[in-house]
Order: sequence, then structure tokens, then C-alpha cells
Amino acid sequence: MNNILVFGGSSHPSLVNEICANLGIKASETKLGKFSNGETSISIGESVREKDVYVIQSGCGHVNDNFMELLILLNACKTASASRVTAVMPYFCYSRQPDIPYTAKGAPLISKPKESYTFESFPGTPVPSVLTTLKPASPTGPDALNEVIEIQESTTQVLEQPTPRKLDDGDVHKSPSFSRIPMVPEGKDNSTEVGWLFNANNAGYKLWVAQSGTLIANLLTTAGADHVITMDLHDAQFQGFFDIPVDNLYCKPLAQNYIQYNIPDYKEAVIVSPDAGGAKRAASIADALELSFALIHKEKRSQLPKGPPDASLTSGGGASISNKPLISTPSSLALSSQDIKYSSSKYIQTTMLVGDVRNKTCIIVDDLVDTSYTITRAAKLLKDQGATKVYAMITHGVFSGDALNRVAQSAIDKIIVTNTVPQEKTVKYLGRDRVHVLDVSRIFGESIRRIHNGESISMLFEYGW
Amino acid sequence: MSSGGDKNLLDIDAPKPFWMSSNSIKLLSGNSHPELAEKIARVLGLSLSKIGVYQYSNKETSVTIGESIRDEDVYIIQTGSGQQEINDFLMELLIMIHACKTASARRITAVIPNFPYARQDKKDKSRAPITAKLVANLLETAGCDHVITMDLHASQIQGFFHIPVDNLYAEPSALNYIKTTTDIENAILVSPDAGGAKRVASIADKLDLNFALIHKERQKANEISRMVLVGDVRGKSCILIDDMADTCGTLVKASDMLFDNGAKEVVALVTHGIFSGSAREKLKNSKLSRIVCTNTMPVDLQLDIFDQIDISPTLAEAIRRLHNGESVSYLFTHAPA
Repeated sequence: MNNILVFGGSSHPSLVNEICANLGIKASETKLGKFSNGETSISIGESVREKDVYVIQSGCGHVNDNFMELLILLNACKTASASRVTAVMPYFCYSRQPDIPYTAKGAPLISKPKESYTFESFPGTPVPSVLTTLKPASPTGPDALNEVIEIQESTTQVLEQPTPRKLDDGDVHKSPSFSRIPMVPEGKDNSTEVGWLFNANNAGYKLWVAQSGTLIANLLTTAGADHVITMDLHDAQFQGFFDIPVDNLYCKPLAQNYIQYNIPDYKEAVIVSPDAGGAKRAASIADALELSFALIHKEKRSQLPKGPPDASLTSGGGASISNKPLISTPSSLALSSQDIKYSSSKYIQTTMLVGDVRNKTCIIVDDLVDTSYTITRAAKLLKDQGATKVYAMITHGVFSGDALNRVAQSAIDKIIVTNTVPQEKTVKYLGRDRVHVLDVSRIFGESIRRIHNGESISMLFEYGW
Repeated sequence: MSSGGDKNLLDIDAPKPFWMSSNSIKLLSGNSHPELAEKIARVLGLSLSKIGVYQYSNKETSVTIGESIRDEDVYIIQTGSGQQEINDFLMELLIMIHACKTASARRITAVIPNFPYARQDKKDKSRAPITAKLVANLLETAGCDHVITMDLHASQIQGFFHIPVDNLYAEPSALNYIKTTTDIENAILVSPDAGGAKRVASIADKLDLNFALIHKERQKANEISRMVLVGDVRGKSCILIDDMADTCGTLVKASDMLFDNGAKEVVALVTHGIFSGSAREKLKNSKLSRIVCTNTMPVDLQLDIFDQIDISPTLAEAIRRLHNGESVSYLFTHAPA
């Protein structure tokens, strides 16, 4: 292995060592740290001139710190005349692109660890006595499916003008170590000053939620990355945000392998996708192993208001367009948003299982567990529907907030997760019996070797390593 | 434009002229220094736009803009501060800029009173990162059209950008402060290192004062070894001037040295008060008569000897002039009240 250098960031040193061990080289020397004012400081211990450089940094832990560290490392290698700089991001941060502000459902919200969780999907999924494939609820469907969630209290109130930071401590959980950046507050809580922000339905203007995907891609390119290696991107389209080659590796071969050799009677098992977004990923594993497949579907549709439509629900918003002249005159300078009222809307939400899991082993397949709301609810639903055992097969186990506590108390019998994100804490918390960590260092090591040697990596997609 | 005409603008109650209408300028604030953002907004007679900048439980940054900024002139106020959060704030700024860009803002100006990573501006040893240049590139990549900053550690950092950078000076505000609080007759200005000599000389010229210089030999960042005083400070009130106070090792050692050389009192005047690490303890135990910094960064020192200069009028005036396409050079020599 000539001319190859592998640098590790501070996010996941053990994975770096394992990848290097697979490559038969030693991780190159770096000094990573911080200046006293908090700025990231790095120094590179050996010459990178005309070398093929790989920088490994996972998007976990203190994400922004680690991401900046990666950018600075890439940039330092680039400016120190490396011939090619490759960013290896086993878990790609900011890969989920919310199109509405995260709310209580399946969203990465933080909440304090509780004594017990219900794991009920909200509202509860009706458990049919005879298993049938449920049809999506229609507004005129049976009452059981028609529970109405008051997403927002039906009060109209004048928008306040909160500044971003002035939050009541009451319901906003702050990050534990330092508290100047507020956490995303619990959903459904409109009493706080931020209620308006997380209410996607204020008339006239739909909230603009930052989609940081392209930005992250551009930042990496700007910092000097010539190539990116990652695994199981949340959206395959993410590759298109880059103008440089992106190799998206798959955990699928490892997962298949585990299922075949470690799950008893896997031929009888059912692969379950916990949401519609992951259906394709789960279905491909089911196809490859010739297993049956089930899908948990969460449907949220707004209930049409009866009678004449509310003015605020029409597009543009009745109040907000107002009669404001195109060029404001001095008298109308006050922020016109004070006139904007926002009104309530109602959503019907149902969670249903499509497929038969009675008396079967279920394997939930998903790419990412963050707050674990989705999979713990899915597990509960599967057990309610008669599943005998529930496995969860996860690529990236971020487990933020009180996720581990939720998983520990959930109906999941065993969780299988890869080490793209450090899993020491998970194993410690859940115990070796309930967690199995798949090692991805061989896949990454082999892909680095192949990319360095200019060989094809397609076989890694099929057979793993 | 004469300074007389500006008086009205700074008066909040006065009727605002048509070009200050709220639908053409938006002020956004990140989490780094909301007090400063509020002050700037107050001086401009605007309110801050509704925006939610939060952190998810997985520590990714989330930005939600609560009002339309289509075709608006957007100013985002975010300073480089926070020992734990400096990278979070930088990412916040980048994501906010990007969000505004994709939301069709006409022009996006980043107001960064204290430019982060400004001290990592050269390849001082092999393979050292030039992070200041990286930050400049990141800002441009995110979609920033203009940058307003203050007292850059090295003004050459302006050259790292391909977009216009207005580097404002805290000097006029500092001059006002010195004039109103010190006995100028008996004062001498002191630069704690050779690099700041130019800055100090310029203030000394304007006040018609002498200046002294401390030469230090630095072996490692944030650590100093030997100091030599050039100039006579006996019986004088010394005003130590620097662009930033970080761990305060330099300032405290310099003040000790000045007292050893017969100074009557020592006032330290800096632009960016970072005060990281054990700065507070060092200052508390030092003989410094006063430590003064501007509010480019949030400071929580809680010391009797601490004093602060408000530079929000300068930043606000720069925003106003930029928005209206007027020259900002006036601000290099004058401090708006």
C-alpha cells in the first residue's frame, strides 16, 4: 500500500483503528484538540505531499464539532499538497432532510428518560381480532380509525415576536453540558413562545425549514474533498447533491448474513419496514432472502373542515395578503405580521400494519435509529399483532436523547446495529444479549483499498466483505 | 452623507423614511449573541425576524424561518463565541445563510462582529490548516453575499474572500471611551506586542499621546516567555490596547511589567473579550485597574474592574448604510452615538 495515508477524526477512533488494521497500515499521526477559546485545532504529523489521503470521521457525537474538524482536516491535507483527499463518513450527518419542522411523531425530539413508556402509536392502532390487511382510513371510515388529534388548540392568537433564544425553560430541554442553544421543544406544545414556529399551519406563510443537505455536500467540496465514502445514506438522492464522486456502501450484505446465520428459522421470519420511506430498503432484503414482507404505515391527513373553507386555509392566507401597497408608505411600516392570525387544523392519524405477522419472528429493518420513537412503536405494534419475536436491524444507531432507555423498555428482543457510530454505550446499557454489533470496518477497509488501487467496488454492494 | 442627517435614523420614535421599510430589510439572529442583535435592531428601529434555531437531540442544528424573506435584504447577526459551541454557532450561521439563499433572499449579509478562527490565518508550520480561509470559503459556499465584521485579527483576512468584506473598527468607540473616562494628560498607550503596534500608534496619533511597546517572545500559542518594555511609563496611567483578550496571560503579564516599571495605573482596552480558560481568575488576581472590552461577544465576567463599550450603533449604522448603498468609510473614523 504505497502512498496511502489514513487519518482519523476524534469521533470514532476505534473504527479508525479497525479499518487501518484491515488495510494493514497504521493510522497517520494527527493532533486533534481545541484552543482555549473553543476553536478546533489540528495538526498533521506526517507529510501528505502527493499522497492519497483518507480522512475518517463519523457524523455522531457533537456533530458540528466533528464536522468542522473533518472540514479542517480535509482542508489542511489539501493545502499541504495531498494528491487526493477522500472523506470517509460512515454515518453521514445531516442526511435527513425534514420538509416540515419535526414534531412529536417520529421526530428527533429530546425528552427526559421516563420510568415507563407506552410505545403506543398515537392514536392507538386498532388491533383487529381477525388479521386483515387494513385499508387506509378514509374520513368516513369506522370511528376507531377516525380519532382526531388536535394538532393545535383552536385558538387564534396574535403572533408574538419572539427572539430565537428567549425560551421558557419549562418545557424546553436544554442540552445538558451547555445551554445556550435551545433544544427543539416537545411537539404539541403551543403554550411556549415557540409554539407558532412548530405549527406548520400559520396562515399565508409556510415555514421555511432549512434543508441542509446541499449545503453539507458543498461544504465538503469546498473544504477540498475529492471523493466521499459513506454507508446507507438516508436518501439515495443525496449522492446527487455532490459534484464529486460519492460511494455509498451498503450494510445489506452484512445484514443478510446475520439473518441467515443467527436468526433461528429465518425462513419463517417477516421483514418489516417501520415506515413507508424505508420500504424499498427492507423489501430488497426480503427479496434477497425470499422472506415475506410487511410494512407499517403511518398516515396523517388533514381533515377537511365542514362548511365554507376558513379564509386562513386558502392558499396565500386571507389576512396576510391584506391591502398592503407594493411600496410601503411610512405609515404602514410596522411589521405587518402582527395582523397575521393563524388558525387551527385537525389531522387524522392512523398507524397500520400491512401484512401478516401473527406467530412469526419479525425483523424490523431501518437505516437509522435516532430517538427510537419509530422502531419502539413499531415493535409494540408488531407484538400486539401477534409477532413472537421482534428483531431490529439498524445501520446507524445514533440513539440520541433518551433513546436507549426507550429501547431498553420496548418490545424489541434484539437489536442489531453496525459500528458506524460508536456503540460501546449501547452495549453497556442494553447488555450483550440484546445488542449485536456488526463490524463495518472490513467493508470500509476493502473499499478504501479498492478505491486506492482503482478497482471497482461494485462487488461490495452485492456480497459485502 | 453628513452626520447631521443620521441623527434622525438613530431616534427610534422618529418616523422612518420610506427606504427603511420593514419589507425590504430583515434582521436575523443566531444563538451566539442575541443581546447584541436586539440592540442593533433597536438602534435600527426594526424588530428581529422570527426564526427558530435549535438543536435536535442528535446535536444537529435545525433552522426554521418564520416569515417570508423572498427578495429581501437579509442581515444575519452571529458572532464567533462560546468555548463549547463555537462550531455550533458557525454551522448555525452557515445553515441560516443557506436557508435564506434557498428561500430566495435578494442579498445575504453575514454580520460577524468577532470572526471565528481569525487567528488561524497562516500556515505557520508545515501542514497547519489555514482555517480562517476555510471559514471564508464556507461562508461563500453557503451563499453569503457580503460580510460585515469588526477588528479582524489580521486585515489580510479580507483577501480570503471573493465577496466584499467590511472590516469595521472599534477604534472610534474606544477613542470616545478613553476621552471620557481617563485623564488624557497623564496617559500613555501601550501595545502588548509588536503586532499591535500599528493599531496603538493610530490611536496615539489621534489622541496626540505617546506610546510604549512590549516585545514578547512567544514559544507556543497562548504561552509567552520573556517580555521587554520599550518606552517610559513611570508615573503614567497606561492604556494597554489589543484586538482580543483570550486567556489574558499577555495582558496580565504586561500589566505586571508596567507596574514594575512604575506605572500609576493600567487599563486594558480590547475589542474582542473572549476570556477563555482561567481568564477570569487571572484578571481577578491581577493588578489591572480596569479591563474594558466591546460587546462583540457576550461576556460574563462579573468583575468590578470590568467595563464594556457598546458597539451596536456602529454595526447598526453599517447595516443601514449598506442597505441604502451609502459609503461606510465614515464609520472608520466616527462612532455613531
